[in-house]
Amino acid sequence: MKDRLLTTIDFLKSRGVTYADIRYVRTTTENIKLTNETVDTLSRDLDQGFGIRVLADGAWGFASSAICTLGEMRKVAGRALAIAKASALVKTHDVTLAPLVPATGRFETPVTLDPFKVPLSKKLELLSFVNRVLRRDRKIQVAEASMDFFRTEKIFASTEGALIEQVLTESGAGYTATAVDSGEVQRRSYPNSHRGDYGTGGYELIERMNLKDEAERVREEAVALLTAPVCPSGSRDIVIGASQMALQVHESCGHPAELDRVLGTEVSLAGGSFLTVDQLGKLRYGSRLVNIVADATTPEGLGTFGYDDEGVPAQRTDLVREGVFVGYLTSRETAPVIDRTSNGTMRADRWNRIPLIRMTNINLEPGSVSFDDLLADSDGALFLDTNNSWSIDDRRLNFQFGVEAAWEIKGGRKGQLYKNALYTGITPEFWNACDAICNRDHWHVWGVPNCGKGQPMQVARVAHGAAPARFRQITVGVSR
Amino acid sequence: MIGKDKIVTLLGDTLALKLADQGEAVFVGSESGLTRFANSIIHQNVAETQSKVFFRVAMGRKLGVASTNSLSRGDLKAAYRAAIKIAKAQKENPHFESLPGPATYPDVSTFFSETAKFTPRSRGLKVKSIVQVASRRGCTVAGSLTTGTGEVAVVNTRGVAAYQPLTSASLSVIAMTKNSSGYAEGLSRDVGALDVRAVAGAAVDKAVACADPETLSPGEYEVVLEPAAVAALMEWVNYIGFGSKAMLDGTSFMCNRIGQRITGEEISIHDDGTDPAGVAMPFDFEGVPKRRVELITAGVAKGVVYDSLTASRGKTVSTGHALTPDSSGEGALALNLFVAPGDSSLPQMIAGVGDGLLVTRFHYINGFLDTPHAVLTGMTRDGLMRIKDGRLQGGVKNLRFTDSMLRAFGTVKALSAQRQCINAWWDSLGCITAPAVHLGSFRFSGQTGF
Repeated sequence: MKDRLLTTIDFLKSRGVTYADIRYVRTTTENIKLTNETVDTLSRDLDQGFGIRVLADGAWGFASSAICTLGEMRKVAGRALAIAKASALVKTHDVTLAPLVPATGRFETPVTLDPFKVPLSKKLELLSFVNRVLRRDRKIQVAEASMDFFRTEKIFASTEGALIEQVLTESGAGYTATAVDSGEVQRRSYPNSHRGDYGTGGYELIERMNLKDEAERVREEAVALLTAPVCPSGSRDIVIGASQMALQVHESCGHPAELDRVLGTEVSLAGGSFLTVDQLGKLRYGSRLVNIVADATTPEGLGTFGYDDEGVPAQRTDLVREGVFVGYLTSRETAPVIDRTSNGTMRADRWNRIPLIRMTNINLEPGSVSFDDLLADSDGALFLDTNNSWSIDDRRLNFQFGVEAAWEIKGGRKGQLYKNALYTGITPEFWNACDAICNRDHWHVWGVPNCGKGQPMQVARVAHGAAPARFRQITVGVSR
Repeated sequence: MIGKDKIVTLLGDTLALKLADQGEAVFVGSESGLTRFANSIIHQNVAETQSKVFFRVAMGRKLGVASTNSLSRGDLKAAYRAAIKIAKAQKENPHFESLPGPATYPDVSTFFSETAKFTPRSRGLKVKSIVQVASRRGCTVAGSLTTGTGEVAVVNTRGVAAYQPLTSASLSVIAMTKNSSGYAEGLSRDVGALDVRAVAGAAVDKAVACADPETLSPGEYEVVLEPAAVAALMEWVNYIGFGSKAMLDGTSFMCNRIGQRITGEEISIHDDGTDPAGVAMPFDFEGVPKRRVELITAGVAKGVVYDSLTASRGKTVSTGHALTPDSSGEGALALNLFVAPGDSSLPQMIAGVGDGLLVTRFHYINGFLDTPHAVLTGMTRDGLMRIKDGRLQGGVKNLRFTDSMLRAFGTVKALSAQRQCINAWWDSLGCITAPAVHLGSFRFSGQTGF
């Protein structure tokens, strides 16, 4: 395959392109989902093909195909070139790329237990056990438990001389109990909602999740929520659980820090960003406790890799340092706008998609307080746990998140349970209200396997390191 | 395009191995191009040729699914065998009775040669005209223009051999001034039916009309929702309520309410994959003909859509709304939604508002807040306007809404006679055909600074 890619690169060079790259991607996927002890999804998928990106006449063209013959590659290369020339019909300037030393290398996710070699029977037994425990109350109408595994093999070559091979393995699992009674529906999930938690690595990640141990608690909390009072509305101090903090970082820092979005190229779908380039180094994004990094080298993070899909090595970049907004997620095309080189965040979800700036592991760095000490110091606050709903405006300012469960903190413990809890705010006001973040003992890198962006839609797998954190006087509950 | 004969033969030959009690092969293929523009230039321009074959096999009541995007006979056989291996490894599915049998499908025109022949250069020239329309009025534009062809085929060992060729074309345009924006879109299987300049003009008109928006406090307002706004709400209402899984699981707002009034009596919603007024598709991914299904009629909950597995679970029959085999655990989904028209018009509805808002569209709606009450939240976007004494007053900074759609659509005052096809999550397989809607009350819960 490498020879075919390099021959195609030579062909494109002979056509006088300014720049071109070709990516071959082969992805194997296994999805398993049990609902009420019936396997409703058990599927394997093999998907392979290549995509060619061409810069010619100052504009981009991209074409792709699943037929991986040399003849098809040459044909698709010609198509990508023709598309670039069509793009040049509507341009105001030529695209230029930040300089890059072309890389040659190989990266492979460290894997202890190959998830594709673990017998199906073992996976099904674990998910069945969880299903049975969750269903031990008749009010649990739906018990769902799932596992997903991905192996992506990539080869990247460019006209600049890059030649990179990568093998990424990703694993995840989780479950949800849905309690239904008298027109009320409530859910609890473990280790996170939206199919659970994910990381780069093998089946050892699943074994470490202790899926069996938490099922009783999850079931009981789901049933208890049915009769819990609705979370009262008002301005309250809140302590947000680590997995919900991960989504908060995702929506209100990760997405607005994407420099392509800032420069307007995501406006046609998900919108722009309030983090405009005039704010770089100036905006007080949050309190001095808030430090957020983009780190594609975080061990086991779902946003961890060796090189991005432009061949830029994985790296760590400050986005927010002591509350000040200091950095973006960049590409070779966007980085020069802020006089920097790419920090390596361009990724495509498969061979048939053009790379876009995507989050890597966007981590809220841990603070210094223990969770117990934080609760002891938060009398009257609400503890909000596990995402249920999410929405944010097209500049990433006005957000509203719903969580599965909320408890009033009394005497250093979780007290009254509330259902249907929502909190809302404006991004910089919210982060400036942060006055405590738990320490590394409570910090975990949460995988988000379904981050959507771009047209045609691309789904990226990203991650967020986060620990529980406290925010003062946040609007909780909203009118229905 | 590969064509019916080749695809059906290829799939049939693999299934002819007779290694499973029953076997099904679903082919989904496409050749598509998308030209994306922003800041009034083309910044992304892509083409894709992709196909996927899903095999679903039954060994007794044990089901297995495997898929591949390779059409080589060897890879197809390997995927088929993988599905069998998976089926053998798992437990019986009590809801599986049988794969569907052969059926006849309505003859629906879904392929337009002009769309199939549309080139990247053709799209580039259309985008150029959009930029020209906008720049004359001092606006920049962002958006996308997509054209493509597709083929869907379903073959099974019980005699199903369904095939449909498709084309699709869609356009979205956001026009922007310094402090406002406006949105318009177009959708058709026939690219010739897309009036690109008119769509661009509508977006520009809205952006200019919304310049220098005022700030308005959240609260309860009378609203006129344009078709794109109605469709965005319906997309989520459909997802959380009109599918069989949500109904059977007890999470849908339709549960225990069939036969009861749940919205204003002016509201009627149905699904019909055979109606060419939408984006038609005559059969589902099990090869079952799509039936017209009444979901809400004159405000009364009537029913939901089913695939064969959920139909068995619900002791009814499939309505022809199965998703691809890898998604069958999600149940059925209504992909060809129609909100019935009324007898009003957008200008008449605006004229009927004393103090309220015109909503062009919504952004980032979420419907998981409280599904039994169909509570949604989301933001307005690209053209929120104040209406006073029956006249448009200018732009308003965006607001967040949080409301029960059953409550809000219980206050319906009028619907427009004219409807528009609006693109939905499911792209070329269907759309939401919606009128503009005048609601007496809609609850806004927050605001932005723009």
